[in-house]
Amino acid sequence: MSGRRIGVYVCQCGGNIGDYVDVDKVVEEIKGDDDVVIARSAMFTCSDATQQEIVQDAQEQGLDALVVASCSPKLHTVTFRDVAKRAGMNPFQYTQVNVREQCSWTHTDDKTGATEKATRLVRAGINRTRLTEPLEPIVVETTPKSLVVGGGIAGLRAALGLAELGLTVFLVEKEARLGGHVAGYGPMFPNDRKGSDLVATLEEKVRANPAITVFTNAELMAKSGSFGNNQATIAIHDGDKLETIQVDVGSIVVATGFDDYEPAAGEFGYGLDGVVTLPEFKKMVDEAPGLLQYKGRPVKTVAYIYCVGSRQDESLEGAHTYCSRYCCTSAVHTALEAQKLAGDLRQYHLYRDMRTYGKYELLWNASRESGSLYLRVPDDEPPAVEKLSSGGLKVTTRDLLTGEEEIAIPADLVVLVTGMVPRDNAELVSVLKLPVGNDGFYNEIHPKLRPVETIVDGVLICGACQAPKTSSEAVAAGLAAVTQSGAMLKRGYAELDPMVATVYADLCTWCGKCRAACPYDAIEQVELDGRQVAQVVKTACKGCGGCVPVCPEDATDLLGYTDAQIKSMIDGMMEVSCS
Amino acid sequence: MTALVNPGLADELARSDGFDADACMNCGVCSAICPMGVDVEVRRLFRYVLLGMEDKVRAETERVFSCLLCRMCEENCPAGVHIAENVRTLRHHIVRTGFGLGEG
Repeated sequence: MSGRRIGVYVCQCGGNIGDYVDVDKVVEEIKGDDDVVIARSAMFTCSDATQQEIVQDAQEQGLDALVVASCSPKLHTVTFRDVAKRAGMNPFQYTQVNVREQCSWTHTDDKTGATEKATRLVRAGINRTRLTEPLEPIVVETTPKSLVVGGGIAGLRAALGLAELGLTVFLVEKEARLGGHVAGYGPMFPNDRKGSDLVATLEEKVRANPAITVFTNAELMAKSGSFGNNQATIAIHDGDKLETIQVDVGSIVVATGFDDYEPAAGEFGYGLDGVVTLPEFKKMVDEAPGLLQYKGRPVKTVAYIYCVGSRQDESLEGAHTYCSRYCCTSAVHTALEAQKLAGDLRQYHLYRDMRTYGKYELLWNASRESGSLYLRVPDDEPPAVEKLSSGGLKVTTRDLLTGEEEIAIPADLVVLVTGMVPRDNAELVSVLKLPVGNDGFYNEIHPKLRPVETIVDGVLICGACQAPKTSSEAVAAGLAAVTQSGAMLKRGYAELDPMVATVYADLCTWCGKCRAACPYDAIEQVELDGRQVAQVVKTACKGCGGCVPVCPEDATDLLGYTDAQIKSMIDGMMEVSCS
Repeated sequence: MTALVNPGLADELARSDGFDADACMNCGVCSAICPMGVDVEVRRLFRYVLLGMEDKVRAETERVFSCLLCRMCEENCPAGVHIAENVRTLRHHIVRTGFGLGEG
């Protein structure tokens, strides 16, 4: 007996556990175990009523630790830590035992075996709990400053938003000017505001805001530090001169954008006179002096080919298999703008599927009504573009909507509706350890619930560096990154999980093996009483435990999962039931 | 046979006040609901016009004239295409150009 007062609750999870594990038998087996003050079964332990019962039991029986045997710890660890806290216990003296995913669901054919396994798992949980120490969250002060990498529309808006929250902002842009792609655009969907105007307005506000420092011709060279406190090294190019400065920041917002897809020579006739990409065509329309012209010749007929560089066959090497999302609407909008220049302009759109999603559908309707004709072409038989001896171009395709009629369209101009591709930013990826997906874009932790956070603490991503996005979506993501930065930095401190590694300095002989094993640079060499020993940087440690088994002196341990606890759990599992 | 897009017909018909099929989204409700069981798909017929495929349009003469103009299709068209009006415009075009009638 250790004098601990442990409460144990075994959950039926309706029939999820109860149908295969004899929960009452499990309770019967362990209720006489050392230090178990109370043991009960419950239909749904996570229900409000049962949570309340646990709190009440804890107060009446003076419990100091809690075990719940139910589902995966991923689901309810936080729930029951919270229950423990409400009941006056230290939340880190709670243990979740998984008797659902790892027991009842896997042994539906063996109820006796499942019940025995559940008993052993619960006993292991009780043993671990007996050896828990109260732990407190690690509190770190955070630096109320942010670094924004990339000065396109998303980065500019994010910088402004961060400054409006009261944070100090450093904006780093690789190019000599701000604004990215959007700075070069004329009228954009959906409200026909010029991209250049939008960016100019934003830039003016950014430049006028005293909390924002803008660095152009600049790059992020290095980053060190840990949660909420990073040191960033910025290199600023000034002609042949190179200046580097260091800034302390609490969060880093990556908004490095995209590249336009560049078709290969010969891809849909690319390289032929009169075959242009959508950005090139948009520029022509934006800058047209009255009538639409190409190299001084009037343009009477335009044929568009959609999905160029998007939704490519996965068997192609380096295929861009995703939909680039913005191009359908952009092409439709550009066609409407072109039609304004010349009412008798003939426009043929060769598409695979139109994806003018949401409110942009109305633009597609407007474009059809203005005289644009849409032809649905087969996925597996791309349109062919050739140069005619007369100097014009001819596009041949099958129109699925007329029963696969083969149709030839004479055109003055062929517009390849090109998509977005990820930018090659190998240096930045290596500096920030950015997670790059198979498609080359950066990955967020969760597409719905954590859409701008990365697995690297304090490094947020937004805009088209994540995935193809329209400018409004890019800006929305930028502002999400602002909110996340605010959530991390505005309180002035952050609480981190205390289940991290620890070093028993008296046992440590500093061999350096733990530091070599640590993937987070969380172990430093320090001098203590004239000896060299290892020390854990608690704010950098993620509690992975990688340093524990490599220590030849058993001087490293993981709080919450100490060697002693693991051994006691094994003992608990091996214990033979008396009955 | 590859049909060359002929903007002439499209200009003459497709952009005339009497013809409108731009909003057609090829759903096929018109064909499904036709009491005559007219076996030409109107949506396809209209696309021939939009693409300027004169021969294809001409080949459908029988069917263009078998329409009752009951407007059942029009009432049910989710895109609001004036189908019956389009058919009348086509009849006019065929009569005028195909049979040499109505000139002047």
